[in-house]
Amino acid sequence: MLSTIVFLPFISSLFLAIVYLQNTSAKRYEFFTTFGIGTILITTILSLIVLYYMINGMGTIYSHAFTWIHLGSFKIEVAFMADRLSAIMISFITFIGLLIHIYAAGYMKDEEGYGKFFAYFNLFMGSMLLLVLADNPIMMFIGWELVGLSSYLLIGFYHQNTDNVKAANKAFILNRVGDFGFIIALSLLYIALEGHGFTFDTIKENISLISHEMLSLIGLLLFVGAMGKSAQIPLYVWLPDAMAGPTPVSALIHAATMVTAGVYMVARFSFIYIQIPDIGLFIASVGAASALFAAIIASYQSDIKKILAYSTMSQLGYMFIAVGLGAYSAGIFHVFTHAFFKALLFMGAGAVIIAMHHEQDIFKMGGLKRHLKLVYITMFIATLAISGIPPFAGFFSKDAILVTAFADQHYIIWAVASLTAGLTSFYMFRMLFTVFHSPASQTNELHKLDKSITYPLVVLAFGSATVGFLGVNPAYGGEALINNFLMLPDISSHIPHSSEYMIGALNVSLGFTGMLFAYKLFAFSKHRPDTTTLFTRVAINKFYIDEIYEALIVRPLVALSKFIHNIIDAKIFDGFINTSVLLYVYLAKLFAKLQNGKVRYYALYILAGVSFMSIFLMYKLGVGI
Amino acid sequence: MENILTNIIFLPLLMAIVLGAMRASLKVLRAGAILTSITTLLLVGLLTYNFNPTLGMQFGVNATWISNVGITYNIGVDYLSLVLLLLISILMPLLYIYMFTEDRKGYWYNMMFLQTGVTGAVLSLDLILFYLFWETMLLPIFIMIGKYGNGMKQYNSMKILLMTVLGSMSMLFSILYIGYLYHETTGVWSFALENLATLEFEAETSIWLTAGFLLAFAIKIPLVGFHTWMAPAYGSAPTPAVVIMSAIMAKLGVYGIWRFGYGLFEETLFFYEPIIITLALIGLLYYAIVAITENNLRRMFAYSSGSHLSLIALGIFLGNIYAWGGSLYFIATHAIASAGMFMMIGLTYHRFGTVNIDELGGIASKMPIFTFFFAFFALSIAGLPGTGGFVAELLIIIGAFKTSFWIGLFTATTMLSAMVYIFWMLQRTIFGESNNDIEVKDLNAKEVFMLTPLLLLLLLTGIMPSLFIPFFEPQLSLSLGDFLVSIGASK
Repeated sequence: MLSTIVFLPFISSLFLAIVYLQNTSAKRYEFFTTFGIGTILITTILSLIVLYYMINGMGTIYSHAFTWIHLGSFKIEVAFMADRLSAIMISFITFIGLLIHIYAAGYMKDEEGYGKFFAYFNLFMGSMLLLVLADNPIMMFIGWELVGLSSYLLIGFYHQNTDNVKAANKAFILNRVGDFGFIIALSLLYIALEGHGFTFDTIKENISLISHEMLSLIGLLLFVGAMGKSAQIPLYVWLPDAMAGPTPVSALIHAATMVTAGVYMVARFSFIYIQIPDIGLFIASVGAASALFAAIIASYQSDIKKILAYSTMSQLGYMFIAVGLGAYSAGIFHVFTHAFFKALLFMGAGAVIIAMHHEQDIFKMGGLKRHLKLVYITMFIATLAISGIPPFAGFFSKDAILVTAFADQHYIIWAVASLTAGLTSFYMFRMLFTVFHSPASQTNELHKLDKSITYPLVVLAFGSATVGFLGVNPAYGGEALINNFLMLPDISSHIPHSSEYMIGALNVSLGFTGMLFAYKLFAFSKHRPDTTTLFTRVAINKFYIDEIYEALIVRPLVALSKFIHNIIDAKIFDGFINTSVLLYVYLAKLFAKLQNGKVRYYALYILAGVSFMSIFLMYKLGVGI
Repeated sequence: MENILTNIIFLPLLMAIVLGAMRASLKVLRAGAILTSITTLLLVGLLTYNFNPTLGMQFGVNATWISNVGITYNIGVDYLSLVLLLLISILMPLLYIYMFTEDRKGYWYNMMFLQTGVTGAVLSLDLILFYLFWETMLLPIFIMIGKYGNGMKQYNSMKILLMTVLGSMSMLFSILYIGYLYHETTGVWSFALENLATLEFEAETSIWLTAGFLLAFAIKIPLVGFHTWMAPAYGSAPTPAVVIMSAIMAKLGVYGIWRFGYGLFEETLFFYEPIIITLALIGLLYYAIVAITENNLRRMFAYSSGSHLSLIALGIFLGNIYAWGGSLYFIATHAIASAGMFMMIGLTYHRFGTVNIDELGGIASKMPIFTFFFAFFALSIAGLPGTGGFVAELLIIIGAFKTSFWIGLFTATTMLSAMVYIFWMLQRTIFGESNNDIEVKDLNAKEVFMLTPLLLLLLLTGIMPSLFIPFFEPQLSLSLGDFLVSIGASK
């Protein structure tokens, strides 16, 4: 069954691609839609069945497809494993993926290359499921790289525009920088455990064979991979640019699923990370820094998708705080709730963008709540959820993370995370109020929205409002169902319920404060960020990080390439060879002068030759002169 | 079955002579060439079917040839030569399909000579015989660049000839001296590898003799510093010649080290190990960085080929099963990927009359199927999972880490180095807006038919390496074991 879940989207993608390429100008809307969505529907059902088995107490499911490679003791199987962690992951990936597929059928309806889009989308689903269900790190890495590929293809979907392709390249290259760390970590891990097998289970069994230093290095390098995929400082710069892709892509790949792969990976390797709390603390610090930094930038953006992109990066920061501090269940819980409300926010934003005839600047929108009632209500729910207002989903998952940071006495991380929570509420409501409440500015008729666009929003809104109840803390009278279900090796420190209430109350009040500020500033007028102060200028320009990278990495690399090309290659290596050739030619010319056709010279050579021979012979024979 | 190898080697040459003697018309010539390539493919298929992976040299022929100096016609095939033999015989028919409309007869004759040259070099087990084929395969390339190439074709063909011959001469000197030493020791003349392998050299002699061979192979690969013929030659050569140079001839440099280096001078090769590893690691990055700003696609992938060949050379000097297996696997998968890539570049040239990146662009909007194949081969050169190159690179990286952390770290940069130039190239060549207003047609059925086998092979080698590895694994571990023992003994 697991093999079917993984392979079906791949096969479907291949089939769609062939049909598409066979005649690229044919529309075939019904075929691509039914086939593309149909296969995902089947995988969704199968994934939910797996989850159902798990909930009913079934143990880990294994499924072996074939041997990938066997060379020496390097034996890797194409095999899949569904434990409780991956069961949760695949069920929300396929479920939200299905909704976004349906949404895309409406959103992409009139686009050229509709079939190609579904081929890429299914390729992504297959790769993501491979990543999550892999029973060994090598298969996981293959899925990991393939999701990067599909992300590249989808960001560059509108490839006529060079900017989009540049964004796609940036995404792939930065992801690969992360993968560089990942592959080193895997190689070191393999060499350290050579001959003991290389599946997650066998690694876990033999983890004690690895020295603490090596384990720390491996943990750190694995996290470098996560930094790339999950857009953390310093490898995050691709994520905002990735918004060049069609909005369903942003919702599925760059919000709900792929970017959370880093968090999943840390949770999957939790058996390593529980032994190296120092690295864990580093991860949490990077997460906290990313969360705050992204929230600040988000507060100054005016592109609706960019705001959401930075918000994604910020929320991913929270997840890394959790998994870094060893609260793996809390991290995965936030991955889970975030998938619902962030997918909803993106899809709502997409609906607004379509309705506004592809306008993405929030300050050119306004007053949309009357015209797009359903979109407004659903996005309001999602915004409440992300801002941590109870009882919506985000409150419970974020609260669990804040409590962890506080309980572990990492007060700085806790303070940063709390501050970010306030900021989150501020910039999210800033977006919501500007788009839906501020005075209307558009005069054009709004574009009509398909039912396939609006219905998925309702489903996700229901999810955003309720999935938080799966993980209610005991302090709030819940049973932390999801934590108990996941059975991850959480490091948990307990604090009194009263402290938990304090943290929760602070969190909620910060959320409301942010909301109120946003309401005052943005609900009644358009308050575009001005460039008068230095700080706002810097923040609007995203702290000039792109420019710094350009100056520090891109330009020196190009200069080096040209230097090697024009100087080392042409002047030194080839210069050396050409000089030897020239020297040879010069010598040839020099000796050629001897042979000048004049008899008196030849007579001279003969004389010289005979004299030399005579002297030599006399010397040899010992005849004195 | 007895003479199957001889047939495989000489069938193309024989066919060329017969066709030449009867002054065949273009149609007959073409039919003859294609028929020959398909026949050899079938013969190699038969050979592979009967190949026993657990044995060493098979299908051997050993006949005296010039008996008074002990030169023999000694050929045979083992796991190592089988890989290259398969590649040659798969690529030749595809190249003939590629050049189907070519109406210059000399072109076809040269390709047939070339096939005999490279096949002979792969299968020879006598050093003089090897040397003959090694030189034979250069001549058609020299003519093809000089006569049918483009750009500064005569200068560039002279350059590759001179630099390669410099290497061959030093190798010939080593071969003759080894033969002489053998005569001194045993009193009989022989140039057969198995006989010469029994010789024990003095340390200093051995260092010089090895240097003679290594120079030839280093130029052929080429290792960094010995490479300045590469970009001009690739840039000027017609596509079929480039494909053979990159897919087969460059690999023969590595093959030479493997077969003759490890065969004759195991301990001394160990002496050169640090130098080669350093050169290979430098080459890996050096070529990849040069490729970033290269504007000519052929020259860009010449550097790309240099970078990956450095990685292969690195692998065989690391001396563990992963690196060796990875290198051998990379020989095959890189040959397929670079053949596909250079064919795509050739097709680009046919359509646009240029392979300069700044004159292309926007191809994706004009030709979706072309784009699909172009991007696929480019990505497989970048080592994307799902293609064979990934498997090979992964194995070499693991092997490098087994040897040392720092070598591993540098080796792993292959993950990054190829990607930068490939993705930037794709951005400017395939995507974006067109920099010309040439009307082009997408790939036709013939072109798709010619590229599909390469695509399928890359996918198959990437998805199921376990189908291929059993062919070489047993003997590879065995010869690795022998090597490690002799290294251990010499320490």
